[in-house]
Order: sequence, then structure tokens, then C-alpha cells
Amino acid sequence: MVTNKKAYTRFSASDRMEHFVLIISFTMLGVTGLPQRYGEFELAKQLIDLLGGIESVRVMHRFFAVMLMAVSIYHGGAVSYKLFVRRVRLSMIPSLTDLRHAWQYFLYNLGLRKEHPKMPRFNFGEKAEYLAVVWGTILMVITGFMLWNPVVTARYISGEVIPAARAAHSAEAFLAIAAIVIWHMYNVHIKRFNRAIFTGKISHEAMEEEHALELEDIEQGRVYQPPPVEVMLKRQQVFTVYAAMMTAILAGGLVYFVSLEDTAIETVPRQSFEQINDIDVTKGNATLGEIVWLEQNCHSCHGETGEGVYPVLPLAQTTSDPQAFAIAIRRGPADMPGYPVNQISDEEIAHLYVWLQSLD
Amino acid sequence: MRRRIVAFLMGAGLVLIYMSFSPAQSSAEDIVFEHPAIPAQDGGDGDDINVTGDNSYCLLCHSRENFVLELEGGGQLDLHVSPDALANSVHYELGCVDCHGEDAFPHVGEPPTDARLYSIATTTICTTCHEEQGESLVDGVHARGLANGNLRAAVCTDCHGAHDVQEIEDEPQLAAQVCGTCHTTVFAEYEQSVHGQALLVNNDTNAPTCIDCHGVHGINTPTTAQARNRSPELCAKCHADEDLMEEYGITTNVFNSYLSDFHGTTVAMFEQADSNVATNKAVCYDCHGVHNITPADDSKSQVAKENLLTTCQQCHPNATTDFPDAWVGHFEPTAEDNPLIFGVNWFYRLLIPTVLGGFAVLVASDIFSKGRRARSGQSHAHTDEGGDNGDE
Repeated sequence: MVTNKKAYTRFSASDRMEHFVLIISFTMLGVTGLPQRYGEFELAKQLIDLLGGIESVRVMHRFFAVMLMAVSIYHGGAVSYKLFVRRVRLSMIPSLTDLRHAWQYFLYNLGLRKEHPKMPRFNFGEKAEYLAVVWGTILMVITGFMLWNPVVTARYISGEVIPAARAAHSAEAFLAIAAIVIWHMYNVHIKRFNRAIFTGKISHEAMEEEHALELEDIEQGRVYQPPPVEVMLKRQQVFTVYAAMMTAILAGGLVYFVSLEDTAIETVPRQSFEQINDIDVTKGNATLGEIVWLEQNCHSCHGETGEGVYPVLPLAQTTSDPQAFAIAIRRGPADMPGYPVNQISDEEIAHLYVWLQSLD
Repeated sequence: MRRRIVAFLMGAGLVLIYMSFSPAQSSAEDIVFEHPAIPAQDGGDGDDINVTGDNSYCLLCHSRENFVLELEGGGQLDLHVSPDALANSVHYELGCVDCHGEDAFPHVGEPPTDARLYSIATTTICTTCHEEQGESLVDGVHARGLANGNLRAAVCTDCHGAHDVQEIEDEPQLAAQVCGTCHTTVFAEYEQSVHGQALLVNNDTNAPTCIDCHGVHGINTPTTAQARNRSPELCAKCHADEDLMEEYGITTNVFNSYLSDFHGTTVAMFEQADSNVATNKAVCYDCHGVHNITPADDSKSQVAKENLLTTCQQCHPNATTDFPDAWVGHFEPTAEDNPLIFGVNWFYRLLIPTVLGGFAVLVASDIFSKGRRARSGQSHAHTDEGGDNGDE
């Protein structure tokens, strides 16, 4: 057995940084997302407890979603740079050859084929994963947008897409996490602990098994040749403008996404069923006010003459303005129930107000 | 019944006997001021006086109509006790002194200063025997109201009556009316609701009365975060009961479908994590109403199609016409009603097993291959991990 100690550069620092951010955001999205989906399980409850309760879990989920979206935008820039500036071969695009490789690999494993398939820089397994990450992220971002901003979504598309988005977000999450556990874990951690994504280097031996075609190319000198410096510089200039524009647009989109509405994370304080109208105190009548006071049982907590019974607010000569007074009656602060229009009319509120003001 | 009649007749008979001994029975006014004849007692032992329900001594005065005490603090205390009511009450076997203590005329204690305070003080009399109720009372809203100084909070006698206290029969209609004497506005709403109509008009005792939801003596404050978070379980008590709901043709899936949708999942998680954390995510009554609840197919219902947007806007003020469609109702998504959700579910039902199955087969084949090669000793698949450290 020949041991070749030679190592090959596989990932740039930028690639590795992207992957690192992806690990963190993906893992944390899973950690904060799964217990929301499987809330009925004991483990989920404990996890939510550990993370500080469901509200906090939801905020964290959104935080890591922003992280994932940010790294996706960066990735778009990095790919564009490779595409437009360095103009390397698009080695990540899946093709029918990859399906053939998968089949040959399967046959080889069963012992029905002598040769392990010779695979390119990115083999079928890696392309499948990349495809899944791209597809999954796009889908999760779109459905996540709908769940994050349901009111706006319902205004522009239809309400029905929101529960559909929820179903898709949830199912896709399950698929992504299960795929990582089964496929990614096995291939890069169990089958062989491939440290390339951390060190940037891959061993000769791993190259032989997983990227034999690329190894052949390297050994025969068929490697990427950068263009002359002045060409590169020119391309870089154009790219900088393009990248700045795209980054501005996408970052703006991200801010829009995040700041549009907070319905799903904290709903607004509950509002009275009815509109609260202006109260016209000039039509108020103190005598009628006292009758309303007794009829509506205000006195059982606020006292016969509005003196208030601890801890209930005294209301005699209330300092709140008529509108605030009406809002308090309609909405019901603290333990007090709200009184809608069909229980106390606007005129009656005016009577109450005038009566309370007339007390000493 | 017969016992009551006998007791009553005995009591009435004794009253007559004592009255015949009384020197001052000619004028009703006189009795108030004059010492009535003290009946002969066996040995002066207090236990003996009233064990037979012999209240005739007290009733000499207290059976008189319009017998009132002018109170120091203003107002009057009604001192009249109807012998009929007493004899017909569940306590007909008890004597006056069993509750009020032995206090022959002239009464030695300070007269009460306030009628309401006197009623409140009687609570301790009731709880002497009714210990269990007394204990649960302490946690209830009424007792806490009292403790906070709200003297109008209900005490035993406000609901049960005093001398005319009746045995509690299974009479939910009566229970609702008792609560309604103070809680008038709530009762007015309840009366018109689907539950109130069923109970009060159709005499359907399956329908919940006040105490079915609020409890009896230990009534919890219904406005706490905990009460709110737990309220769905309260509704589920009946609405998840298949046998009961079958009678009305109501699906029991409402609870489960609530739990699996946006609001329910959140509320359930709040309840699990910390039931005292306030959530304003919708619970049953936010959409359906509380005391004014109407059937979902009633056009007046808050959840009727034409009112749904207004209902959503309570919490989602910017919601527009299409927003209520985000709520699937309490229904399983079907191909006809929710083609999009139905489609998404099917898509993943196919995609997930295909992708994961494919990966699993390939992983299994690789493990199989490694095992086979290891056994046959012709290992091509190196497991050497040192190789990719790359020391260049």
C-alpha cells in the first residue's frame, strides 16, 4: 500500500468561513425550530425551558434565520466572483453523469462492479447536498417570510398560503435535518473524518477515492489558469460595483423581511371588539351617572361613591381625560373586564364621567 | 318530609306552650323589652337545649314580622326568622344556638354595628361544620375580594340563604340564577348564549352553568394568565368528550386541531413552560366569545364567515380580507377546501421517503461494502484518518 502524504487545497478561507457560519445557523435553527414543531414531546419542553421559554426560542430562531440569510447573500457574492471574475468551471452543477456515478458506486459497494467510479471535484453526493442546501434555504426563506409576516402575505397573496407555508417549512426542516444526519454525517464524519472544510486541505487518499477525476486533472496539469493581472483587475472593478449594488439590494431586502411586522412573535395588545368613539362629556348627566354606576356594578369594586377599595382604583374626581376613561372601560385594565358598547353606551360613559367629577 | 313536618309541629306546639306561660304576650311591642319566661332546662347544659331542634324559645321574639334592629352605623338588621323557612330548611334539625351560640335574652353580646359585617361574620359559623368548603373558599375570588376590603363580595349566606338554606340539588339552572343576582351583566349575556339558552330555555342540564367553568367555592380569578392559558382545557372537558358531543353532532376534533395550529401550539407551550406567563395568543374564547358564545354557524357568531375578519382584527389590527383564510378552521386540510396545504403535505409525503430512503440505501451499501472488504482482507477503502492532516 502506497501512502501518499501529499495534500491538496480544497476550500479557501472564505469557503470555510461560510461553512462555519452555516454550521452555527443551521444547527441553532434546528435546535430552536424542532421543539416548536414537536412541542408535545417531553424533550422539546425541556429544551424550550432551557432556552428561556417559547418567546425566547422564537426570537432566537429568527436571529439564526437572519444569520443564515446573511451567509446566503455572501455565498451569492462568492459564487458570482468565481463565475464572473475568476471564471472557473461550474463544478457544482449536477448532471446525468452524477446519477451514473451514484449507480456505479452502489454496484461497486454490492460487489457487482470492480471499479469505484472516478468522480470529479464535486461528486454526486456533494452535489446532492449542495442542491439540497440551495433548494432548502430558498424554500425556508420564502415560507419563513410568510410565517414571519402573515398579515402582509395575506394582503398580497392569499391567506391560504400561510398554513401551506407552515406545512412546507416544517416538512422541509425535517427533511434537511434528517438528510444531514444520514448523509452528511456518514460521508464526512463516519466513513472518513474529512477535515477539509476546517483545514482547507484534503489527503491524496481521499482524493483517490472521492475525486479521482480531479486528481487526474491535477496530476496531468489540467488546472485552472488565472487570466493576466490587468484582465483580473478590470473584472474586479466591474464586480465591485455589481457586488455593492447586489449587497445593498439584498441587505435592504433582509431588513425589510425582518422589520415588516411582528405579528407572529408578539401580537399587539388585544383590542376591544368595537371602535372606541369620542366621548362628549357636555351631554353627561351626573344623576344618570350615579344610576349607571350602580346598575353596572361599578360600585362593587370602586365603591359606592367612587372611593375605591384597595387595590382597586378610586375614581371620584378621576384625573384621566374622558377618552382615556372610555378606553379603560371598553378594554378593561388589569383585572377589570372590558365593557363593550352593548353593555355601556358612549352616552352612559359620559354620564359616569360627569358624575365622578361631581363628587367631592 | 314527614320528619320536617313533625319537627315543625313539635316546634310550633312548644311555641304555643311557652307562650301560654308568658306573662306579657298580649302586646307584641312589650316582648321586645320584657324578659320572656326562661324555659325550664334539664341541667343547664348547653348541649341539651337545642339538640332536638327546639327553637321555640328564640322564636318567641324572632318569629315576629318586621322585627328589626336599628344599627348604630345606620341601616337595619332584620331579626325576623320565619319558623316555616327554618322548618323547611336543610338545617331543620339544628337549633338556633348551634349556629348563633347560647345567648338567652337579654342578649349579652354587643349588637352588630353593620348588617353587612354581620353577614360576613357568619361565614365562620358555616365553616365550623362545612370545613371542606371553608378551605376551598379561602382561595376563591370572593374571599380574596373580602380580604381586600370589598365588602360586597359574596359570603355563604348570599348564595345559600341563611335560615332558609336548602339542600344542594343538581339544579344548574338555579346555580346560574344565584350567580346572576350579583353578576347581572354577565348573566344577561349568558342567558342569550348557546349554553344559556340550552340550560335555561331547553332545560338541557348538559349545558354548562356558571360553576361548571368557574368552580364553586374556590373560584379562581378568570383574568389571570394561568386561567387564560388553561382555558382551552376547560372547553375541552366537554368539547373533547365524544359521547357527549355526539348528542349534539359537534366534532371533538376542535381541541386537537386547535393544538396543532398556530395559536394552540403557542398557548400549549406557554402552559407547559410556565403557566403564569401571559400570552395573548388566541384561546377558544377570544374567537368564540365567553359568556355570549353562539354556535359557530350562527350568523351572529364572532367566528361566522362574515364576522371573522373583525374577530381576527382584535389581535391583528392590520389584517385584510384574505387574512382569515390563514386559519383552516378546525378542519383537516382536504383536497377540496385547502388544495394548497393538501398538495404540500402530499409533496413531502413523497419527497421525504424518496430522498432519505435513497441516502439510506447508499449509506447501507457503503457500510456493507466496507464490512465485506474488511472480512476478505483486501481493503481498498482506507479508514486511515491521518492522511488529510496535510503537512505541506
